[in-house]
Amino acid sequence: MGTRGWRRTSQLICLAGFLWLFVATEYRGLDELPYPVGLLFRIDPLAALADLFAPGPFHWASLWPALLLVVLTIFLGRFFCGWICPLGTTLDGSSALLKSPRSKPRPGWRKAKYYLLLTLAAASLFGVQLLGLFDPLAIFLRSLTFALYPAYNSGANGLFDFFYVHQVPVVSDAVNRLYPFWRDHLMAFHPPAFQLGLFTLLVFVVILLLEKVERRFWCRNLCPLGALLGICSRHALYRREPVELCGDCKLCTSACRMAATDEAGHARSECILCHDCTGYCPSERVSFGFGKKAPSAGVDLQRRGVVTSLACGALLAPSVMTGPPTWRSNQYLLRPPGAVDEEEFLQRCVRCGECMKVCIGLALQPALLQAGPVGLWTPLLVARHGYCEYNCTLCGQVCPTGAIRHLPLEQKKKEVIGIAVFDKDRCLPFARREECLVCEEHCPTGEKAIVFDEQQVLVKSEVRTLKIPRVVKDRCIGCGICETKCPLEGASAIRVTNEGESRRKRDAWV
Amino acid sequence: MTGIDRRTFIRRSLQGGAFALGGLPLVDLFALPALAADAPPVALRKGTDIPALVRETVAALGGMGTFVKAGETVVVKPNIGWDRAPEYAANTHPDVVKTVIELCLEAGAKKVRVFDRTCNDPRRCYHSSGLEKMFAAFGDKRAVLEHMDRRAYGDVAIRGGIVFDKWPFYRPALEADRFINLPIAKDHGISRLTLGMKNVMGVIGGNRGVLHQRIDEALADINLVVQSDLTIVDATRILVANGPQGGRLKDVEVRNTLIASPDIVAADAMAATLFGLEPQEISSIAAGARRGLGVMDLQKVRKV
Repeated sequence: MGTRGWRRTSQLICLAGFLWLFVATEYRGLDELPYPVGLLFRIDPLAALADLFAPGPFHWASLWPALLLVVLTIFLGRFFCGWICPLGTTLDGSSALLKSPRSKPRPGWRKAKYYLLLTLAAASLFGVQLLGLFDPLAIFLRSLTFALYPAYNSGANGLFDFFYVHQVPVVSDAVNRLYPFWRDHLMAFHPPAFQLGLFTLLVFVVILLLEKVERRFWCRNLCPLGALLGICSRHALYRREPVELCGDCKLCTSACRMAATDEAGHARSECILCHDCTGYCPSERVSFGFGKKAPSAGVDLQRRGVVTSLACGALLAPSVMTGPPTWRSNQYLLRPPGAVDEEEFLQRCVRCGECMKVCIGLALQPALLQAGPVGLWTPLLVARHGYCEYNCTLCGQVCPTGAIRHLPLEQKKKEVIGIAVFDKDRCLPFARREECLVCEEHCPTGEKAIVFDEQQVLVKSEVRTLKIPRVVKDRCIGCGICETKCPLEGASAIRVTNEGESRRKRDAWV
Repeated sequence: MTGIDRRTFIRRSLQGGAFALGGLPLVDLFALPALAADAPPVALRKGTDIPALVRETVAALGGMGTFVKAGETVVVKPNIGWDRAPEYAANTHPDVVKTVIELCLEAGAKKVRVFDRTCNDPRRCYHSSGLEKMFAAFGDKRAVLEHMDRRAYGDVAIRGGIVFDKWPFYRPALEADRFINLPIAKDHGISRLTLGMKNVMGVIGGNRGVLHQRIDEALADINLVVQSDLTIVDATRILVANGPQGGRLKDVEVRNTLIASPDIVAADAMAATLFGLEPQEISSIAAGARRGLGVMDLQKVRKV
């Protein structure tokens, strides 16, 4: 097998491994997940960058693989993009299906990714972290979590249901026998559903469709991770020869998937080491190896462009901060247990969606604008949809950047997400003088945070004893099970607000 | 039980359901069996060796062979509702479940199915309750612990229902030849105690919370459909406060007691006394007696 064969094998193994980690990122009887898919973000330099610019010390212990990747890239080049990146592999597949046209190098377009990286990095330095929106690993994981996996589950469940409801001879028996195994190992236990599923899918599909414009459109022109690795690989020691475009052929200019070779020669920062050119070169002139003295065609970033990007990034922060703090205007802005203070949370969260994938109660949902203008895809606890399971710490375990801290169980049980508040116009004992107490029944704190008082009430000139629920502030942790289980249709008659959340930093002067 | 066997009951129920769906008048499902005609036997035993205690209690009622015949499919329905370890007294003790299953198999049961529609995440509940571990070590493939199959619920008409005239039930619970109810005795806010009649809520579908609005009659309604052939109340330890979920060992009292009866109301009534309560103080027990599900008056039961 040639190098290209190895590269393809590596791509497929990495993609399969990624998918396996993804499916394995679910509660299957163990309180601690052995292989959460977040492991992947430990090698992600953009996640490391987000962590670096966030308050507090850099998390060396978990993020050293990202630095290792940077160091390897400095020596080898952008091998990550060509050999490992799951989005890159998917794009190669998409390109084959869509039959991407052979296109000319567009040096102007490919600069965009560097400017994007600089803008994002500067914004991040000044307190607005949006790296995750463009991080290819986050994009891929988000698309899987919010769109593809729910769609797959829905389709698979539909198929299983069909053969369950309709007794097709032989087939139904076989399918029904397969169902428990499939449900327990290859599907989500609870069929997932996310608010931004369609929107996330749309973004993903657009990135795939850009293959119709040119191969690896995203990687060539937009990917900030590719840009970062490209900058690192300018002086890589693993080099391609020849650097100059041969006068007699020029096939490289149209055949290279990254358009890394143009009239100016071979640009190392654009080459993802796919080794295709060693195959298609009709004269077999191309070779890769160490110890070659070949120089590289540089990326002609203009000083003006660099300064503009940095300035844009730096100005983004004060522009965003013109608005009022979101927790004030949105009392239902609830974050997962163990989340750090909102400002730092937004700086740390890379929007990978993993906490939402792993949430056992389907309580976490991606935000659109509920968390402010830069809170897109960050996790919200939507308690009407699902509640925070009292004995579960999974979201903190999988978070790759410490936006959600991994708290020990005993501490997590005391972590206040918010406090539950009754809507007395709808709650049955208050509004209709009927019995209920479903909230009290489910309240998980050892000594219940929802208690009841027996009151004599007058109902149609008849005195009746009614159990009236009440929230005890010092015990309520805002897990939201009361809101999830409230038997009223539509909105719950008890809702968790973010009052008193543990994570909030309280200003000394307000 | 008199007059009608389980299979006939199911068939008629499903026919009734089909008619209901078609918008046609309901057919008569069954005449209410005269459950409370004779004094029902109730066994109360104490002991610290749970397997021996279960065997002794069931033996007092004539042995499991009285309830389970060879070749029958049995549903054993413990309370697995909560993500709590056995010592917190929120779920039926796994050793009680285990011994009951053994007794069923010894009586010749073809299959024993165990399930519960939990309140917390089912995976966590099955795990924390100790049942998953117990089953992993059990070794007899005729007994299975299953997650509820969301597709297996179906509307059943409740003839004589006061709160509901129909409700979705878990069909495997109705289709089995025998239903053995294994509640744990616990404190409960709205119904004061949760015992055998309330444990049946674990095999119904739908928005169960609305039952709370008239919990006594609603429980009687669903117990008209799911009739327990045998109720064994686990009071090896009971939860006396912050029920039904608990979470504090100081709310748990160790009583080393089991109560068993083919009459669910009598079993619940006897269990109420463990909490120092009179049966009529528990509105669902009173409703059960009123609705013909069994005998509440402990003077009128046969203590065996």
